[in-house]
Amino acid sequence: MVSGFLLSENGLYPAESAPGEPLIAVQSVRRAVSESANTTVRVDGVSKQYDLGGTVTALDDVSLDLSAGSYTAVMGPSGSGKSTLLNLIGGLDTPSSGRVVVNGQDVSSASEAERADIRGTEVGFVFQTFNLMPRLSAVENVALPLVFDGWDRTRRRERAVSLLSEVGLADRTDHVPAELSGGQRQRVAIARALSTDPALILADEPTGNVDTDTGAQILDLFDDLHAAGNTFLLVTHERHVAERAERIVHVEDGHIQSVEDVSGGEH
Amino acid sequence: MDTGESVRITLRSIRAHKLRSALTVVGVVIGIASVITFATFGASVEAEIVGDIETSNAGNIYVFGTPSGDDDFDRTLQPVFTEYDVQQLEGIQGVQAVLPRGIVQTQSIQHGNRTLARQQVTATRPASITDGVLVEGRSFEADEEAVVVNERMAGSFSQNLTTGERLTITMPDGSERNVTVVGVVNGTRGEVPVSEFARQPRVYVPIDPFYDSVVESPSAGVRQRAYPQVTLVVDPRAIPETQSAIQAYISGDADARSLSADDTELVARSGNDFVEEISDVIERITRFVTGIAVIALVVGAIGIANVMLVSVTERTREIGIMKAVGARNRDVMQVFLVEAALLGTIGSLLGVPLGLVVGYGATRYAEVAFSLAPLWMALAVGVGVLVGVVAGLYPAWRAARVDPIDALRHE
Repeated sequence: MVSGFLLSENGLYPAESAPGEPLIAVQSVRRAVSESANTTVRVDGVSKQYDLGGTVTALDDVSLDLSAGSYTAVMGPSGSGKSTLLNLIGGLDTPSSGRVVVNGQDVSSASEAERADIRGTEVGFVFQTFNLMPRLSAVENVALPLVFDGWDRTRRRERAVSLLSEVGLADRTDHVPAELSGGQRQRVAIARALSTDPALILADEPTGNVDTDTGAQILDLFDDLHAAGNTFLLVTHERHVAERAERIVHVEDGHIQSVEDVSGGEH
Repeated sequence: MDTGESVRITLRSIRAHKLRSALTVVGVVIGIASVITFATFGASVEAEIVGDIETSNAGNIYVFGTPSGDDDFDRTLQPVFTEYDVQQLEGIQGVQAVLPRGIVQTQSIQHGNRTLARQQVTATRPASITDGVLVEGRSFEADEEAVVVNERMAGSFSQNLTTGERLTITMPDGSERNVTVVGVVNGTRGEVPVSEFARQPRVYVPIDPFYDSVVESPSAGVRQRAYPQVTLVVDPRAIPETQSAIQAYISGDADARSLSADDTELVARSGNDFVEEISDVIERITRFVTGIAVIALVVGAIGIANVMLVSVTERTREIGIMKAVGARNRDVMQVFLVEAALLGTIGSLLGVPLGLVVGYGATRYAEVAFSLAPLWMALAVGVGVLVGVVAGLYPAWRAARVDPIDALRHE
């Protein structure tokens, strides 16, 4: 950060003045490159304003590409806009301007029903607070996205049982969340995120509500799933968690401050 | 989203709030049960009365005068149908018997040491007392000094009156007639159906020698007996034609027409006319009372709406989860509508038998035969489900509109 210049997805900034106008806008160059690449997610000049008795800008002209099979962490302090970015990519929210394309589908212009379908089939969410249906068993929770995707009951159950054994919960299929430990619940949530074989898994502070050992196990599971070809976008404020990814996108005040290559150090 | 899954989710939710769901269902049960109770009771009363009239009076045509203004009911009892009219009516094709009926005032009727004051007795022809109505004994002969009493009258004296016993009838002029009871009946042939409502003690006497209301017949030119009401027994296969012929006679050349005030309408009503009129009245009352019971159902519906709104608020986070994993707005709506409809359905399924039991109790109490109102039952179940759906619409719509981001943050 002190080395004079800062390269973001939007261009080259003088480190001292960032955020602000880039010295060289590289948008056109980047677009030409990524259009040909195997892109799972494209965030293109996205801004998001909220009207909370005065306009609050959560994201300001952010662009970011995730290629298939990549593992990206988003870091930033709370209020930086990293959750907003996750919600936009996950189709839970729509940008005020700019485009979000997930696996070829434009989320920003999709209807509410189409976004629901994208959330169900293209994206798998893993939340800090697990967000399991309290009265459904583990296997029913895992099968829930398949319900909305129109699978029949037998196939849903087969798929859910096999995913639960993949995450090491073969013996817990019929337990409700209250009967499971935090780590087990998060593994159910991960299995649920995988159920529709989505193009992208979005994890929002997945280790925030579990102890260190359990957190490590969850991150190991992510590594295994990444190795198996899944694309990950992980939001965290913990450095050691972010370092499990291939690259770290630093977000602050609604801007991407820097993109850090974990193996190669900061750009 | 398949219905089976939404039902499963709903059942879990209902099971998680057993007491709350049960109380909501009770609201619907009370509503449905009241509707069923009143509808069933109304149908039973109607069937009972209509059944009575239909079995005993199918081929009867009742002829009487009715004032166009309802204020002057006395005039319906004016003796205007003369013997001449009776003969003319007997001549109409399809008429099998004519049963004139008159009222004889008495000072009192005495049996043993018991005297009943200010009684009326009914004068009629022997043919009015048929085997079908006789409980014991026989009919009187024309011009016999004998009477037939109904069961109510038989029970009016300290010892039950039976055939062969004697009554003393004191006429308005103070003269006394000693008569023999020759029969006990439970009604008479040709009685106007509405009189069955008032099962009063009655004594039936032969026209001769008891009945002496006379007027001068305009057609015959002599003084003749005249009756306020005449019943005609007609060929059951030709009721409409015969009824028209009778109506034509009494509103045309009949003595009764000349003897009646201009604003008195002379009518020939069939048993079916009475059945229709009575059914109409009972149905109207039933509908009115059932309508009041519907208020209970509306209260039940409000209960469902209330609980569903609470449920939506409580399950905001679940709605967020469902939306995050791909539920469309209509899927969310479906989950809540199914829950509301299920509460309504359970309510009606429990309410129908309860209503039938209470309705049965009411018919026992009122001493009428129990009859089902299947249409109302089907309607009640349908309405119960509908009530649930309608009551659930707004809460479900609210649920569907929940913003998933807010919902997932919701504690």
